Amino acid sequence: MIRMENINKSFGAHRVLKDVTITIKGGEICALIGENGAGKSTLMNILGGVHQRDSGRIYINGSEVEFATPADSLNAGIAFIHQELNLINDLPIFENMFLGREPVNKWGRLDLDRMRAETEAIFGRMNIDLDPKTMVRNLDASYKQIVEICRAIMMDASVIIMDEPTTSLTAPEIKRVFEMMDTLKKQGVGIIFISHKLNEVMEICERYMVLRDGELVAEGLVTDVTADDLARFMVGHDISTDVLTRQKIIGPEVLRVENLCHTHAFRNVSLNVSKGEILGLTGLLGDGRSELFQAIFGAEPIVSGDIFIEDRRARLHGTEQALNLGIGYLPGNRKENSIIKDMNVLENASIVTWPLFARQGIIDKKKQENLFAEQKTRLAIRMRKNTDNINTLSGGNQQKVVLAKWLPAGPKILILDNPTQGVDVGAKEEIYDIVLRLAEEGMAIVVLSSEAAEIIRLCDRALVMYQGEIQGEVSGDTMTEHDIMRLATGGSLAAS
Amino acid sequence: MHAGTRQEQSRIRGWFESRGAADSHFGTVLVLVILIILQTVVLGFDYSSVGHWFSSWARNWINILRNNAGIGIVSLGMTMVIITGGIDLAVGSTLVATGAVIMTLLDTGPKGLFLKMGLTGIPAFILTVGTAIILGYVLGTVIGLLITKGRIAPFVATLGAMKIFRSVTQHFMQGYNPRVPREFLKISNLTVGNLMFMPIIYWLVVAAVLHYIATRTVFGRQVIAVGSNERAARLSGVNVERVKTRAYSLMGILVAIASVIQVSRIGSMDFANAGSGYEMDAIAAAIVGGTVMSGGRGTIIGTVLGMLIIAVMNNLLNLFGVPPFLREAFKGLIVIFAVLLQRKESA
Repeated sequence: MIRMENINKSFGAHRVLKDVTITIKGGEICALIGENGAGKSTLMNILGGVHQRDSGRIYINGSEVEFATPADSLNAGIAFIHQELNLINDLPIFENMFLGREPVNKWGRLDLDRMRAETEAIFGRMNIDLDPKTMVRNLDASYKQIVEICRAIMMDASVIIMDEPTTSLTAPEIKRVFEMMDTLKKQGVGIIFISHKLNEVMEICERYMVLRDGELVAEGLVTDVTADDLARFMVGHDISTDVLTRQKIIGPEVLRVENLCHTHAFRNVSLNVSKGEILGLTGLLGDGRSELFQAIFGAEPIVSGDIFIEDRRARLHGTEQALNLGIGYLPGNRKENSIIKDMNVLENASIVTWPLFARQGIIDKKKQENLFAEQKTRLAIRMRKNTDNINTLSGGNQQKVVLAKWLPAGPKILILDNPTQGVDVGAKEEIYDIVLRLAEEGMAIVVLSSEAAEIIRLCDRALVMYQGEIQGEVSGDTMTEHDIMRLATGGSLAAS
Repeated sequence: MHAGTRQEQSRIRGWFESRGAADSHFGTVLVLVILIILQTVVLGFDYSSVGHWFSSWARNWINILRNNAGIGIVSLGMTMVIITGGIDLAVGSTLVATGAVIMTLLDTGPKGLFLKMGLTGIPAFILTVGTAIILGYVLGTVIGLLITKGRIAPFVATLGAMKIFRSVTQHFMQGYNPRVPREFLKISNLTVGNLMFMPIIYWLVVAAVLHYIATRTVFGRQVIAVGSNERAARLSGVNVERVKTRAYSLMGILVAIASVIQVSRIGSMDFANAGSGYEMDAIAAAIVGGTVMSGGRGTIIGTVLGMLIIAVMNNLLNLFGVPPFLREAFKGLIVIFAVLLQRKESA
């Protein structure tokens, strides 16, 4: 049993944790939820030995402990599974299991047989059907997650902290990880489950703890509350899950795609979007929708097919051309595809518009600042100075900055790939609101999302993709989670 | 009281942290100042005749700067290339190739091209410099296109270009060494009040222009964006290939300028050896000045400071009487030391 008592932590003048006390018992899955910036990561980093607390105590089974480094924490039986997994793609599973503490025989050579045997033993105990000789590169995200959990178990972890483990997983993968968590629970391991997905919390967790602005505002048994209650605890007021409404004025067609084919990611895709319309695209991970719209944006080559913008055929060779034709694209996976980490907030927010507003290639500083000031108020971006590094902003605000770089370019069509990924509940609603307003102003919008709920709430109609092809379209009455899932798994609507 | 001290502490820490920020040159300037003080001490401060002391001190400095102007200009282009995440090993060979063209055009001997055409004096010089710059631009662009359109790793593409440019130059020159008109040497050797500082002026002007390009133009900022996160830059509508190609084109132009300075300083060029090792010296200056080899971070001012640090250190080694063969070792040490220091600052 682990108890953190009256933990306080400040970064500079900012108090991140205020007298937080939590307890985690063995054999239970406990959700730690809260908005971005609520202090979840800091609290867990203190438990994981990454950060040092300013005051407070940590007890394991009643005796006080002190973690100066992550290694101390690991030795005490606390394993931290980060979002960015710590596995080496080019090594097989069994070597990954022993990274940093490889057993050697008396000649100093790696004892590969022992590594393989011990890995097999752990997999057996955990009921996992995996060949230890498989290269980690060839595993899907859920199995990578599972390998890392097994590694923690091998090191006798009694508590495992999982930081948003399901963010990049598909539905069947999530199920697999949940089964694993269940096995761990039965073996007496305590799990702290950090997540933004409240339905997952309701499904898998026994207990919940909610942090808001560095304070523990609620805790209790999951059976006593609903997902709505949890959401309310997180933001401090009611939030809606109703379908969002707006003034719908659908104009002429802006984008039409005919029989678009890619080398492998998608085939024979035809679709169209009109002015003022919000089109959804959904499906399971790996369905090809991201590649499809990257191709429409000129970032992926196409094998055959045509793209028409306002009825004019567009031959795209690059993203710069797409930008000039009025296509805007907000990539998924913000950290890898959107954020320029060596640049400040202002520059990240103006990279798209530099060439549009430059005079003879010289950046118009005044215009750059004015445009961003406009977007800052319009999108309600919360930040300090323009010259701060982009990484000092919370996930939601980073996403708004990424959005802000596209808006002054005035795209006719805006493609949003997972616009609310890694964004907390409050910021999510704000982003939905912005998207609705843009549609009202006459922008054609395409939302790519793997969250059916998001598609249903936001979009007028949605196309569901399955293995690179469009499996079907849902709108109005057929736009339900059930129908979307049926199409996304390769079924059809007519069958029902 | 207690809270006051803590606030004070964090204020002081904040000051240091802001000095340690990515684009700040606090550490570099500090090292340079220490070296300059050391150099002044070693040269000896003469209280009795401050005027005399200063004039010899300034003369020493003009010498240092003039000798490093060419490589200083090359290092500025190298900085831009490294920021994009690339590297250019071909600078020395490009220098020789443009140098050979300059000298062939201006040759006072029977093979002199402009002389045959009856073109002499200032118009010939302007045409020569223009041709050199265009050639540098073309060679740089070819390298850039090999890297972007040909998808060859910068290290490999420029390694190939390095071999090709020098070898072809040597083949065409066949050991023939043209002589350039005496007036052409004025470009670098013009004396004003018996001081020769023209190369320094060229270096300063080029540095100022490049600083402006790097901080104020779309191209300059796109270079940083591409180097920091190529994918994000591409998905923001940046033409990554064009930005990279232009960085190498710019590099070629700067090498051509350095070549003009080199030829006009001594009036001759050893096509087999001239400019060899320039790529490493230019990279060293950029690194000492805070440019990160993986791209995305680096400044023109930093590279100028980096070049000065290396130059002053060379001068110091000279003054201390360190044997010439050992001096390269110190250059190596300061590069390694600079990287270690930067890691500490950014941590």
